[in-house]
Amino acid sequence: MAKGPVLLVEDDPSDARLIQRAFGKLDATLAMIRLTNGDDVVSYLSGEAPYENRTTYPLPSIVLLDIKLPRRSGFEVLQWLRRQPTALNRLPVVMLTSSRHSVDINRAYDLGANSYLSKPETAFQLEELAMRFQSYWLGINESPDLLGNIAKLNRS
Amino acid sequence: MSDRSLPTILLIEDEASDATLLRRGFEKAAVRNPIAHLKDGDEALAYLAGVGQYNDRTKYPLPVLILLDLKLPGMTGLQLLQWLRTQKEIRRIPVVVLTMDDSASTVNAAYDLGANSYLVKPGDPAEIGKIVEAIQRYWIELNEPPPLVIGAKNHGT
Repeated sequence: MAKGPVLLVEDDPSDARLIQRAFGKLDATLAMIRLTNGDDVVSYLSGEAPYENRTTYPLPSIVLLDIKLPRRSGFEVLQWLRRQPTALNRLPVVMLTSSRHSVDINRAYDLGANSYLSKPETAFQLEELAMRFQSYWLGINESPDLLGNIAKLNRS
Repeated sequence: MSDRSLPTILLIEDEASDATLLRRGFEKAAVRNPIAHLKDGDEALAYLAGVGQYNDRTKYPLPVLILLDLKLPGMTGLQLLQWLRTQKEIRRIPVVVLTMDDSASTVNAAYDLGANSYLVKPGDPAEIGKIVEAIQRYWIELNEPPPLVIGAKNHGT
């Protein structure tokens, strides 16, 4: 099964440009959707207007999520996502943020982040990050099924 | 040679041949983190809970990453994962499932119980090296682990 696009949630235009450039250099065909605030992510993932059309706005296979965002923060988005009553709640989320504070890292894992990456300082390091991210999450990792039934097992 | 100052990787794997291949893969990928290997679910729980002989965290340090097979003697991998995610101190430790089982229902159940990632063991032993290398490059070198794992308790929960 073809993997869906990467959903990049980043409000800072220059960070977003650098990230998109790093991924684009790696694979020009890699689909990446960018949103700039938490409320739009919730609308997008819920398929609410203007994102009803899944052909135009496909479900992502993974989310790269900043913490500091206008309106809903990255943490609020993550919490909302993991509480969805549908299989969408399994969507893998990787935090990508400039914060390396222990409280933020712990909170991200507690809310169900799959992984936590800190934004690198240089363009070279960012390309390296993009490469490793892509070959891991879009390469060897088995994605969950986002449309199936949810197991009768309780998330703690 | 492993370096005891680096954080430990906990490998929970009952198949001796798979464990050997994984360990060899780590050596080849020049991973210097110590690898603690446990062969059954109950033993893994004891290690993580720090009971019995595992009470000594200098000898049996908390891991920075858990590689978890699902089919295990004693408690299954999924049961262990479910238990881990309810624990106060250690619940955030990243868990990468590494198993032969590639059925969608098992993959989904693992994510539902809080697995960070799910990898399927390649049928070809030669491919194991690639998986190990990817684990090292992503989880050991790139990912920010939860700070509590390292043993610092400076941030209460």
